[in-house]
Amino acid sequence: MKLLNCPVNGSRPVSEFAYGGEVRAMPPADCTDPQWADYVFHRSGIPGVKVEWWYHIASGTWFYAERDVSLDRILRTWLPGESPEGEIR
Amino acid sequence: MTAPMTPVRSSPVAQALVARKAQWAPYRGMPCAVSVSAEDARHSAAVGVCDVSGLERCGLKGSGAAAWLEAQGVRVPAGANEWVALPGGGIVARLARTEFLIEDGPSGTEVRRVRPLIRAGIDGVTPVLRQDCALVLTGERVPELLVQTCNVDFSGVPADGPGLTLTQMVGVSVTVIRRELNGEPALRLWCDFTSGPYLWETLVGIAEELGGGAVGVAAAWPELHAATGT
Amino acid sequence: MSARLPPVDGEWIDRTRTLSFQFEGRAFSGYAGDVPSSALWASGVHVLGRSFKYHRPRGLLSLANHDVNALMQSGQRFNLRADVEALEEGMALAAVNTVGGVEADRLRIFDRLSRFLPVGFYYKAFHRPKALAAYWERVFRKVTGLGRIDFETPHIRTPKRYDFADVLVVGAGPSGLRAALAAAEAGAKVVLVDENARIGGSLGYQRGASDAGWKELQALEARLRAMPNVSIRSSTLAAGWYADHWVPLVDPVRMTKLRAGAVVVAQGAFEQPAVFRNNDLPGVMLASAAQRLIYRYAVKPMHTAVVLTANADGYRAALDLSANGVSVACVVDLRAKGESDELADRVKHHGIRVLPGHCVWEAEGQADRLSGVVVCPLNDQGQPDTSRPVKIAADGLLMSVGWAPAAALLYQSGCRMKYDDLTHQFVPVELAPGMFAAGRVNGVHDLQGRLADGARAGALAARHCGFSVPEPAAVARGPASVSHPYPIVDHPGGKNFVDFDEDLQVKDFLNAAQEGFDNIELMKRYSTVGMGPSQGKHSNMSAIRILARIVGKSPGEVGSTTARPFFHPVPMSHLAGRGFHPHRETPMHSRHVGLGAAWMQAGVWLRPEYYAAPGKRKAELVREEVRAVRSGVGLIDVGTLGKLEVYGPDAAEFLERIYTGKFSTLKVGMTRYAAMLDESAVVIDDGVVARLSDQHFYFTTTTTGSTNIYRELQRWNAQWGLKVGLVNTTGSFAAVNLAGPKSREVLAGLTSLDLSNEAFPYLALREGDVAGVPARLMRVGFVGEIGYEIHVPAEYGAHLWDTLMAAGEAFGIRPFGVEAQRVLRLEKGHIIIGQDTDGLTAPDEVGLEWAVKMEKPFFVGKRSVEIVRRRGPRHKLVGFEVDAAGARTAPKECHLVIRNGAIVGRVTSIVDSETLGRVVGLAFVAPDMTAEGTPLLIRVDGGAMVQARVVKTPFYDPDSARQKAPT
Repeated sequence: MKLLNCPVNGSRPVSEFAYGGEVRAMPPADCTDPQWADYVFHRSGIPGVKVEWWYHIASGTWFYAERDVSLDRILRTWLPGESPEGEIR
Repeated sequence: MTAPMTPVRSSPVAQALVARKAQWAPYRGMPCAVSVSAEDARHSAAVGVCDVSGLERCGLKGSGAAAWLEAQGVRVPAGANEWVALPGGGIVARLARTEFLIEDGPSGTEVRRVRPLIRAGIDGVTPVLRQDCALVLTGERVPELLVQTCNVDFSGVPADGPGLTLTQMVGVSVTVIRRELNGEPALRLWCDFTSGPYLWETLVGIAEELGGGAVGVAAAWPELHAATGT
Repeated sequence: MSARLPPVDGEWIDRTRTLSFQFEGRAFSGYAGDVPSSALWASGVHVLGRSFKYHRPRGLLSLANHDVNALMQSGQRFNLRADVEALEEGMALAAVNTVGGVEADRLRIFDRLSRFLPVGFYYKAFHRPKALAAYWERVFRKVTGLGRIDFETPHIRTPKRYDFADVLVVGAGPSGLRAALAAAEAGAKVVLVDENARIGGSLGYQRGASDAGWKELQALEARLRAMPNVSIRSSTLAAGWYADHWVPLVDPVRMTKLRAGAVVVAQGAFEQPAVFRNNDLPGVMLASAAQRLIYRYAVKPMHTAVVLTANADGYRAALDLSANGVSVACVVDLRAKGESDELADRVKHHGIRVLPGHCVWEAEGQADRLSGVVVCPLNDQGQPDTSRPVKIAADGLLMSVGWAPAAALLYQSGCRMKYDDLTHQFVPVELAPGMFAAGRVNGVHDLQGRLADGARAGALAARHCGFSVPEPAAVARGPASVSHPYPIVDHPGGKNFVDFDEDLQVKDFLNAAQEGFDNIELMKRYSTVGMGPSQGKHSNMSAIRILARIVGKSPGEVGSTTARPFFHPVPMSHLAGRGFHPHRETPMHSRHVGLGAAWMQAGVWLRPEYYAAPGKRKAELVREEVRAVRSGVGLIDVGTLGKLEVYGPDAAEFLERIYTGKFSTLKVGMTRYAAMLDESAVVIDDGVVARLSDQHFYFTTTTTGSTNIYRELQRWNAQWGLKVGLVNTTGSFAAVNLAGPKSREVLAGLTSLDLSNEAFPYLALREGDVAGVPARLMRVGFVGEIGYEIHVPAEYGAHLWDTLMAAGEAFGIRPFGVEAQRVLRLEKGHIIIGQDTDGLTAPDEVGLEWAVKMEKPFFVGKRSVEIVRRRGPRHKLVGFEVDAAGARTAPKECHLVIRNGAIVGRVTSIVDSETLGRVVGLAFVAPDMTAEGTPLLIRVDGGAMVQARVVKTPFYDPDSARQKAPT
């Protein structure tokens, strides 16, 4: 079972977490219908490094995890509103 | 007609203890299981699972919670997921970063002082109604019970250290601290009221396999026993 | 006739404890510490089982957990591996794959019919002619399958446990022992596991007639056992590797899920059989199997042996045989030059003839036992020269021609392996972080090298876990020629087995390749090589070598198949541990138990569906509960509703972004219905929002939605950063709905609140005392009668229930369950999210247009509502009433609405309402079918059509006079 580092509670088995999908910016309200539909319905299946939402259930903590999905390797995690430490890769 | 009402508080695991024919004594308006069976002392030395939900507690959270508590004269743990002791056997626990659980010990009075002050409208402070299922685990085989129920390594966590763990046990979200009771290492657990019966039955079932079982406060926490009758 | 040797240093058997057992109905005895195979071999039994396909007699092959032809049944336990399972007193063993016993197996006829059973036989039989597929299925079912299930076997669950270590060392042979020592000396908490009953690995049995290795083992074991930070676990299998070094450790009792910081794989290598005609005759065995027999179980493997070899290990085995009373007729070395060092001299010194540049052409048998070996010289091309055969009488033949790494855990962790031309084996070239390989699995074969490699890997593993140790030096692989590149001899007579599990011969691979299955993964599936119980441990390497030769590639280019967990089979009872399925109980749960509730599951909750009573059926009881609410007073536990609070200056703003409605205009002390959409404008939840103060709202969600919705609200605010505090009080509040015309009277006696319609009107919220407890009360109308939702802290839930029930007694109060509530709300035409909506339902399709406030700048799903509204609804939810004539075959939920033969909708809820005296329901219909009076045709079970028509909702009390202002 994978380990995930919660920025508040430290390294825990992934069963303590809920996955929240890739972090994606909501398009502005005046976007076109196709742009909006793309945001609502389409998810990227491209392998590589992604930033994802993860939730530590016991403490109710949402955070970001940067993960190389092709290797299933977590690169770093941080809280919304805070900045990740270290450089990418 | 307005009936003369003396409200009775009930523990989330009251029914399970009734089924075990526990001996009861009131503690601050809640029947408290003083002893469960004649084997309480032996069970407690192996793995005892003891209900202490009757202890009084209150909660709050928010960016201003720590400062507000300090302003009320409450000592606040310095770091996330830490706890400090209160006079009378209680604790102030910092859950993650900005949430606090205050629980009075058997003879504590801090909650009674602070709880009425926590209300809506304080900047940065959100009141949290605490209705926990609160347990004590005692005995030398608690580590064995832990490795059957929780995927977090507690073996390196010092007893009575300031650390607090928010994790899951048998699939239930729990708050865990290690602290000494009666000079012996013990484990304190809190979970949601409505998950209490499931957590209780599961832990007691495993404890029984390990030579322990459900116990009353007389064996697990004599100070609490001494404070019953109120 | 016992083949038991005099006591051997380090033997595993306890000669003071004799065990009696049976095999195939005959009585035998062995010692504690024996396995069935060793005890039987000691007693002169050499046919331990029958092969899977041709039912050929089979004996001992490996004694290393891949003797899959010696699978046995003992009572309810089946497919016991006789080569590793501990012998127990009273076992009644039988071979699993026979008809009529292992000696007289009637299916041995298949051996004669083998040319009619070619590779891919099953696939072909099922393929053509199709008409015979059912016939073949019956035949195959009868003759295939291993072991017999006893359906009376008790249900066994073994509790699993977790464990934690810095360094896990898998394999306690020389490299593993040294790895554990090095890691432990660096300060790491070490767990050392070995699947064998005792640790030591090859140090214990590959002795070469010397006790140096065995002494080394004793010294290492003593040092390790003295270290407090080392846990040594024998009979423990590391069954697989999972992400971040999570390894299931399987012992005879249970499975332990161990989390390690680093893993050292020191599992060694599987000795590989040579492939020649009749290489499966009992008496032909791996050299290591003979050594295990001698040094673990003190059993003499044979009287006269031929040793077929291609490495130094075979010469050492010959010395071991010789030292233990076996006459070694000759050593047959596949290598042209043989072994040139002092080992060859030692062998010759023992008077053993060595034939370099020779192969075994075929083995011959008599009475199901090896009787002789035919040896041929190899020519310059390495082909057997059959013109000069030499026949040697022998009852034993040892095979020592090479090793395949036990690299399953390495593969599972994502290790990249390559074929090493020096050692002729796959070796790791790129290990996953925290994974380390040592010893034979790493291509290091000589003893000093393995010890050094273990120390290196152990130190690196400790370093990986943060312990400070100097960087150890690398260890060279080798020596060369431990594994022969092609120890396979083709023979026109066949029966030269590559895979003993599935009886695959060399020609099967040639045929499979000819039929186009010439990729290793395809060949595996078609030929089933490596798919038997041993999972290719003794066959994959040969298969790769054969395929490589067929397609003209190197074994490295052919590659190996995927190694999946588990490494060995794991009993189901180990996997069926204690299941953790948390459920939640409301604070009034015990009261429902006392009242005889019939339970139903609602997400993680148990809720009373109705309250049972002796002699009454469910439908009748539900009707009574409905009647109580309509005419008197009823009480339902609604504590499972999600109950959330939001505080702070932005609380109203937050709710307006989350829900479709307006909440900034909601007055303090009032409540409002609230619907929630997802970003695609699908209705996902609803509830009631109550305003307790300017900056404090209390709101409910559906029972099943509470956890996820609280979670999503937290996420939204992590992005918005509004000044709000969110609390999930679902479990902290007990809640009931006290409903019915007499509810006000019941409540009046329990509270100091003014319950008059003026002071506490419909949809209002009040805080006050009920039964002496601080409570939040809301006048809600879900069931269509005057009613009060009363919320109190959970610890007072039982008290509140008791008090209300006692106070209501005089009014005939009746507890009601979820089923009655469904009827009551349906009579009012209220929808239930998830029942009357689905995963595509837009608010306009279920009549929630009024609750969607598009003038707000934003709410979740608003942008999608704009788009969906332009498109128009696909269907609409309407109320309907079944025509009286059709009421006898009432439609059910999910029955379809049909128009002109096409499906235009479905029933979502339906009830035969006693209150209304008719059958009413809700259904999705085409958007042009919503007008009152529109006829509907509903297709019911059996295909009959039932006539219904669209009617307005609410069906009951359309003006809601009863819930608003009853006198």
